[in-house]
Amino acid sequence: MSLLQPARRPSLSLRLTLFFAAASTAVLLALGYMILRAVDRHFMEQDAALLEGKIALAQHALRSARSVADLAALPQKFDDSLIGHHGLVVAVIAADGSRLFASRDMQVPESLLAPEAALPEAEFEHLAHAGHAANIRTAQLSAWQTSAGNFRGLAVAMHTGVASMAPVTLIVATEISHHTDFLREFRVTLWVFVACAALLTGLLGWLLTRHALLPLQAMRRTAAEVTADNLHFRLPLADVPKELATLAESLNQMLARLEDSFRRLSDFSSDLAHELRTPVSNLMTHTQVALSQTRSAEEYRDVLYSNLEEFERLSSMVSELLFLAKADNGLMVPRHELVRLEDEMRKLFDFYEALAESAQLTLQVEGQGAVPGDGSMLRRALSNLLSNAVRHATPGTAIVVRIDDSDGTHVQLEIENQGETIAPEHLPRLFDRFYRADASRHRSSEGAGLGLAITHAIVVAHGGSLAVTSEDGVTRFTMRLPAPRP
Amino acid sequence: MKILVVEDEPKTGDYLKQGLSEAGFVVDLARDGKDGLHLALSEDYALAILDVMLPGLDGWQILAGLRRAGRDMPVLFLTARDQVEDRVKGLELGADDYLVKPFAFAELLARVRTLLRRGSKASEGDLLSIADLELDLRRRRVTRAGQRIDLTAKEFALLELLMRRQGEVLPRSLIASQVWDMNFDSDTNVIEVAVRRLRAKVDDGFPTRLINTVRGMGYVLDAP
Repeated sequence: MSLLQPARRPSLSLRLTLFFAAASTAVLLALGYMILRAVDRHFMEQDAALLEGKIALAQHALRSARSVADLAALPQKFDDSLIGHHGLVVAVIAADGSRLFASRDMQVPESLLAPEAALPEAEFEHLAHAGHAANIRTAQLSAWQTSAGNFRGLAVAMHTGVASMAPVTLIVATEISHHTDFLREFRVTLWVFVACAALLTGLLGWLLTRHALLPLQAMRRTAAEVTADNLHFRLPLADVPKELATLAESLNQMLARLEDSFRRLSDFSSDLAHELRTPVSNLMTHTQVALSQTRSAEEYRDVLYSNLEEFERLSSMVSELLFLAKADNGLMVPRHELVRLEDEMRKLFDFYEALAESAQLTLQVEGQGAVPGDGSMLRRALSNLLSNAVRHATPGTAIVVRIDDSDGTHVQLEIENQGETIAPEHLPRLFDRFYRADASRHRSSEGAGLGLAITHAIVVAHGGSLAVTSEDGVTRFTMRLPAPRP
Repeated sequence: MKILVVEDEPKTGDYLKQGLSEAGFVVDLARDGKDGLHLALSEDYALAILDVMLPGLDGWQILAGLRRAGRDMPVLFLTARDQVEDRVKGLELGADDYLVKPFAFAELLARVRTLLRRGSKASEGDLLSIADLELDLRRRRVTRAGQRIDLTAKEFALLELLMRRQGEVLPRSLIASQVWDMNFDSDTNVIEVAVRRLRAKVDDGFPTRLINTVRGMGYVLDAP
């Protein structure tokens, strides 16, 4: 294990699991709350309907009493009318606070005894008969608890049948313990259910996430197997869900690019070894043969001259490889001065004039354009292209350079020569190091095969691009470099 | 003229000493930085050739030590590394020239002569001549044995370079750089063709050849 612990990373499956559980818990809690409310309301409605009927009965009894004696007989009446209603209690309180009647064991809460707590008779009639029972429930029902149980009741102020008597308060209440018990049990059940559901959705979420992330695990395993030796590995796209397919494709494209670069690199290594082996073996055998017997000074000199030529080739190859290595490592940072391409071309034409004339070639430049860049590097890049064109042009033809800066973003430079068409399969690899379209071409007739690679590296370092086409005996290199910013 | 060479690589040091001695210079060779600086301060040299990477003191430190002591002889650096920062650093410290290994010995010799000539004012006459060849800088005219020779501008510049440095072997890279301002190796035989054409105009039809090829090294203008 590494000493450097990676920073704590949040787990995707943990987060998704927690999110699922929290969301389902919240939804179920809200649902449970609404159900509880609805049941509670339903019970209240039942109670209200019951109380309403009983109050009407009691009112009728109170109104029909014409004397105090009639009132004294009320308990008997009430008991008769309320029999069969288990848990129903009735109390009649006189204006002076004395109890005219009370069911057995009835304890009336103080709050209901206050005169303002009682619903005026007219209002009760209005509510009860106009179908406003709901208003009674919410506004006037009160609940209380006594040693005998839980009660819900209603107080109504009313006149009795005794004309001389002050209004009394009629209180009717019903025992609601079975309701509260039911609600308590229901609440417990609901809690258990919500907890279980939260756990279950969490678990399901976890399983689902794991399952959804399985392709990632597979990709991870494949990626872990990729080494320099088996860059041909590709991530399987068949079982990958749509969301991950683009990622897998990008990774596959990355692998393809790596494989290509790596192949070029290993080709380059073997080419390099081959390029070095030939001159080194020449040097060795030539020197050994020369030393095998005594020779004249003239002969020794010849050997040294011949060696010198090989050394020079090796030396320039090393310099060019170093230049390319610098470009590869991003160490080649071009300066940015304004370089007039047509001027550079004319200077190069001066340089190549003698060579072109001896090959009966004419050199032409058309158009103009300036780019920001490193003059000496760009000259080297153009020189390589021009020398390549001179080398492969058919004698008696023209090498034409066209510069076009009409496109505002890029300046384009084409170098065109007439000569043998390069086969299409060679074109993409023409800028590879040591690559020669004609494998049989003798190496001594030209450089190490690094010129176009160097040109390519310089153009890329300038943020440009280099392309080549070859058709019907016309080979054209096209260099595009960013135009100067206005 | 005395030249100091500070180079720790044994073979390089030996051949530099031999080559420069045979070119007519008196050469002292130091194998590490401390000896090099000590020699440079105790003797009087016309030029110092310093390797950058040295045991003890590196080339930059020797140069700094020299300049601190008020020695202003030209200094040429040899290095295996070719980094822009190195060049900038060298030039800031007051180095006069810079050669990247591997280099051609002819190139080194040519640069050494250039640096040594810089000190003494070269004759800037209007007329350069060797044997029966004359080059008139002011009138841009070349004659050989009294006969007018027509040259293109670049041929004139090439001949002027060869005549100014007559007797010196000039490597192709130096010619490309001085005449055409091309500071890199071309993979073509451009210089060869250009010299051949100049030679055809200057030497053909005359009994003595003035422009000579030194195989594997370059070209020299010399009267036999």
